Amino acid sequence: MNTAARADYRRYLRLDMMPHILCPGCGHGIVLQAMLRAIWRLGLPQDQVAVVGGIGCSSRMVGYVDFCTLHTTHGRALPFATGLKLARPELTVLAIVGDGDGLAIGGNHLIHAARRNIDVTCLLLNNAIYGMTGGQVAPTTPTEMVSATTPGGALEPSFDSCKLLEAAGASFVARGLSSAPIDLEALIVQGIQHQGFSFLEVLSDCPTYYGRYNRLGEGPEMLQAQRRHVDWVAAPLADKAFVPGFADTAAVADVALQYGVLHRETRPELSEQVHRLIAASVGEGPT
Amino acid sequence: MEQGSILLVGVGGQGVVLASAIVADIALRCGFDVKQSEVHGMSQRGGVVTSHLRFGGQVHSPLIERGQVDVLVAFEWNEALRWLPQLRPGAPMIVNLQRQVPPGACRDRKSWRSGYPAVALDALARQVGDLRVCDALAIAGQAGSPKAANSALLGVLAPLLPFPESVWLDALRSHVPPATVTINERAFAAGRSLPFPEETRRHAGATRFSANGFHGRDESAPPRLEVIAVWCKGCDICVRACPTHVLALNAADKVAVVRPDACTGCRLCELLCPDFAIVVHDAEERAADLTAANHSGSEARG
Repeated sequence: MNTAARADYRRYLRLDMMPHILCPGCGHGIVLQAMLRAIWRLGLPQDQVAVVGGIGCSSRMVGYVDFCTLHTTHGRALPFATGLKLARPELTVLAIVGDGDGLAIGGNHLIHAARRNIDVTCLLLNNAIYGMTGGQVAPTTPTEMVSATTPGGALEPSFDSCKLLEAAGASFVARGLSSAPIDLEALIVQGIQHQGFSFLEVLSDCPTYYGRYNRLGEGPEMLQAQRRHVDWVAAPLADKAFVPGFADTAAVADVALQYGVLHRETRPELSEQVHRLIAASVGEGPT
Repeated sequence: MEQGSILLVGVGGQGVVLASAIVADIALRCGFDVKQSEVHGMSQRGGVVTSHLRFGGQVHSPLIERGQVDVLVAFEWNEALRWLPQLRPGAPMIVNLQRQVPPGACRDRKSWRSGYPAVALDALARQVGDLRVCDALAIAGQAGSPKAANSALLGVLAPLLPFPESVWLDALRSHVPPATVTINERAFAAGRSLPFPEETRRHAGATRFSANGFHGRDESAPPRLEVIAVWCKGCDICVRACPTHVLALNAADKVAVVRPDACTGCRLCELLCPDFAIVVHDAEERAADLTAANHSGSEARG
């Protein structure tokens, strides 16, 4: 763990690509910075980290980091990440998906990656809307909220992706906020350290579409609103110890969501099992 | 002047389209046939905005041929250079010295400089017969709002076109938002009263080579608050998050350190900056940066 020279996470940026294309006030940049700080804290060599992205604003982040990167097809970041992890199990693989990317187009890939418990850290950046394509309704747009395709307010209920992923079998489920970057950094560190599928939903803001359509203000107002509507419930990060069941008992009625580590369990990890099976088969072979 | 072809160019948000609508309205009020055509695609992200405006007894084509522009009004330095070939040789050109570095121009990783063209007024003046350079952003700021920069440029344009002053002011009043009429009138008058070519000579003397706000890290210790203005998008998050009001946005919507002594080093600005535009250095870190300038690899970090 590294504590000194905290600003050096900037060395992970592809400076020739900066500044990034994200809109003013977009929370994705804050998440990117937290991710770089987490990787810096873990002291991972740059060529041992692979970052996989799909399509969308969140997946643009992959283009700005100086690691091994894959920019893949819409919704398919996790299949690519799964293949990569199975072929190169020594790599630390992160997949960055958006809410539309991960829960709509790539919804099946997401739940099956969780079920397989492959050792990939998946960051799902939830800004409640399709930002890159012009603000269409997403599976995470809350009911009654306005988007380009639901001018009278969304009728459908939205996904709680953390509950979905816990049910699908993810062995580490957490929710972070772009307005709480220190906690977010610690959550990403824990997600990377966890052996198995780590799912982090990160609530981000889209002032350009979601904020504008719903009159939620610009970046600063949207970040402040996050802190009001989401409560920290999981174990304190200071001692890094997870208390099983804490999240269930501490449910608070008047907040919409909870953030922190929501679920953690130890389950056999896929790539380890696959390679053990390969080693065993080779040993029994006719050579 | 019985007919004219005016090209107005700038980047998104500068008011190019509003300015050309005002000129078009003035030409209509003076009895001319007018055709105006603009391109303003992805202008929100720093894209190019151009507006062709032609007036005369009868105008057939809305677009101006290359080399046939009678007056070129450039709201931005880079756009001035980009559209220079459109200008008729010897025709007047109005240039606002404001510079908006597009993301694609910040690419040189070694020197940390952008590919944005340097302000070289002497070279431009040799190519353009009648070059009229001003700092419209500063003029508009003095008039009350930097948003009125387009009105200041219209003031510079006014003497070059055959329309009476009263029509200019009437059209200006009817197009700008009602609450900003006074500010826009002041900006227009200030632009109108600029003496040329004295103003151009003054700017040519004052501008030095300066391509990019990000000049890279030098060998000395960085300041406590390092701001990379060229990466800043003016989202206001750091300004609002700072508990001691150290930061503010300047006229160009970039973050600036206004109360450096009040900084407590809490790093909220750095942590919440989505654009990596602020870094807070503390004393030990500044010392460590100097001793381990080329610190690399995982062994030192692990």
